[in-house]
Amino acid sequence: MTAIDAPELERKRTDWLFRIGVFIVAVVTILAVIGPFIGPYDPTLTTPRVAVPPPTLFELPGAVTGWLSGSATHAPHFMGTDVNGYDVFSRVIAAPRTDLMIALLANGLSLFLGVLLGLVAGYYRNFATELLMRVSDVMQSFPVFISAMVLVALAGRSTTNIIIALAFVYTPIYIRLTRSEVMSQTSRGFVEASRAMGASELSIALRHVLPNSLTPALIQSSVTIGFAILLTAGLSFVGAGVRPPTPEWGLMISTGANQIILGEWWPSVFPGIAISLTVFGFAILGNALEGRYGDG
Amino acid sequence: MHAMLTRYVLKRFAVGLVQLFGLTVAVFFLIRLLPADPVSRLVGMNASAEAYAQAAHKLGLDRPVLTQLLGYLGLGEEPGLLQGSLGDSWVTGSTVASEIVQHLPVTLELITLGFLVAFAIAVPVGMVSALNPGGKTDKGVFVYSLFAGSQPEFWWGLLLVYVFFYQLGWAPPPLGRLSPMTTPPVAYTGFILIDTLLAGSPAKFVEALHHLMLPVLVLAFILSGPIIKMVRQNMVRALRSDFVLYGNAAGLPRKTVARYALRAAMAPSMTLIGILYGFMLSGAVLVEIVFSLGGIGQYAVRAVLAFDYPAIQGVILVITAISLIVYLALDLIHAAIDPRVAY
Repeated sequence: MTAIDAPELERKRTDWLFRIGVFIVAVVTILAVIGPFIGPYDPTLTTPRVAVPPPTLFELPGAVTGWLSGSATHAPHFMGTDVNGYDVFSRVIAAPRTDLMIALLANGLSLFLGVLLGLVAGYYRNFATELLMRVSDVMQSFPVFISAMVLVALAGRSTTNIIIALAFVYTPIYIRLTRSEVMSQTSRGFVEASRAMGASELSIALRHVLPNSLTPALIQSSVTIGFAILLTAGLSFVGAGVRPPTPEWGLMISTGANQIILGEWWPSVFPGIAISLTVFGFAILGNALEGRYGDG
Repeated sequence: MHAMLTRYVLKRFAVGLVQLFGLTVAVFFLIRLLPADPVSRLVGMNASAEAYAQAAHKLGLDRPVLTQLLGYLGLGEEPGLLQGSLGDSWVTGSTVASEIVQHLPVTLELITLGFLVAFAIAVPVGMVSALNPGGKTDKGVFVYSLFAGSQPEFWWGLLLVYVFFYQLGWAPPPLGRLSPMTTPPVAYTGFILIDTLLAGSPAKFVEALHHLMLPVLVLAFILSGPIIKMVRQNMVRALRSDFVLYGNAAGLPRKTVARYALRAAMAPSMTLIGILYGFMLSGAVLVEIVFSLGGIGQYAVRAVLAFDYPAIQGVILVITAISLIVYLALDLIHAAIDPRVAY
């Protein structure tokens, strides 16, 4: 994390935490694949039972055995049902499909664009790339949440548009990171050596400079994915995100928000725990990567 | 020195103006490129073609985009940006400037208090953490700051509402800055804590403070993460610097040395604080919504969902302008604390 601390201290400090981070990210990734299929209910279909609280710890064993032995009329609602009758548990475990997919694709897109443009801007320093940097400055001075919301609300609330909006917001960071790394790499000896050996500029840029300049952008990815999940959820929360009944954590919290002052805590609390842990997991990974591979 | 400072400030202002101009033009084209139809949002889906055309004409949307842009900038017949006008809201009809003036103080008050509380937590915690890097306290603090900095603030807001309003009854319902039954004070400044005092009603001041309790707590929690990390990092660096070694060797009291180190640690923190503050101007939006505070972020959300283009442009422009001014102000404070910084 810091260059000042002794490396041994750092490693000890992040080891157990790192395992927790890897565990959380692994679980969420697995749920993104199988989550929509393993819940007891279809995450996009309502049940006739509206606003049922989750079973208490004493009721839970009875509900599960009753369900398994076939004596109960329906599968237990481990996390209760919301005001529309959706099973909260099935939706919480189905949501990584939406949230993680949006975050990964948005990050992938902005990483690709940012690294490409950053490489060009750092390697070829001319009027056009200078203009690119000024445009990127302007983009970076946009208020993040409002611009993402403008893009999604005006372009239409679809998953694709959310991904594009998030990518738009995060690309300038990657441009800047890659550009400054490329600039420090091009002044190194190996670039001159390749040039002396007759390598073309394009091949130097792509084969030598690019692989050496990826580290900061890749470290940033973990952080960006976490923030993209927060932003996706926030957009749903204000009504500018995915459409119901898509299982998405922010949308679920928003559905439960009006009921929470009446005491119905479960429709909002469970998806919130999921976001809280997931973003924390990505923050841990980002921090660990920074500690191991970053220079700062 | 003085002339250099003036030149530096003027240069920053010039660069800022160019940036704001670029932003305005970019936002202007961006929202018009997107396939949204603000006219049908206003007149309704089933409006006749005439009513539609009439509304489009009234909003000026039937003109070429370039003419619209010139009009917005104030180069047309009507007053625009150059004349200091942000235009009229398409939804309410009042001027965007007056609406922003009404909503902005709410947010400024909220986030400034949030920052103050976050500092009150972060500075001592970060300092204690820095005194023994790698120790048990430091590890615990590190995990806390990583956690706090990566949390969905709107969910924490709801959670606090559930615990402190519904369960314990300590907090008021999340329905605004004052109870709906209370007559708000005359808005001299728009800052409710100041206005209630100016109106000479300490009871309302306490009520406003009570209503701000939870939202400020949420913001302070979220902000404390990055601020602790920063204070700790800068403090560790300061404690290992030569002047601290010298101070200790000279036998200065530990407290005095710590105070010097804190001062040296805070100077480089100013830039990050500025960026955080600028970010929070719109980043507090979800907390504003959870507690129905009616701040600038909530205004922006309403404008965007209603396709109210002048309001959207106005909000983005004002928020960015304020962030740029905050960056500049904090850079100047940085230079004032740390004499090594040159312009």
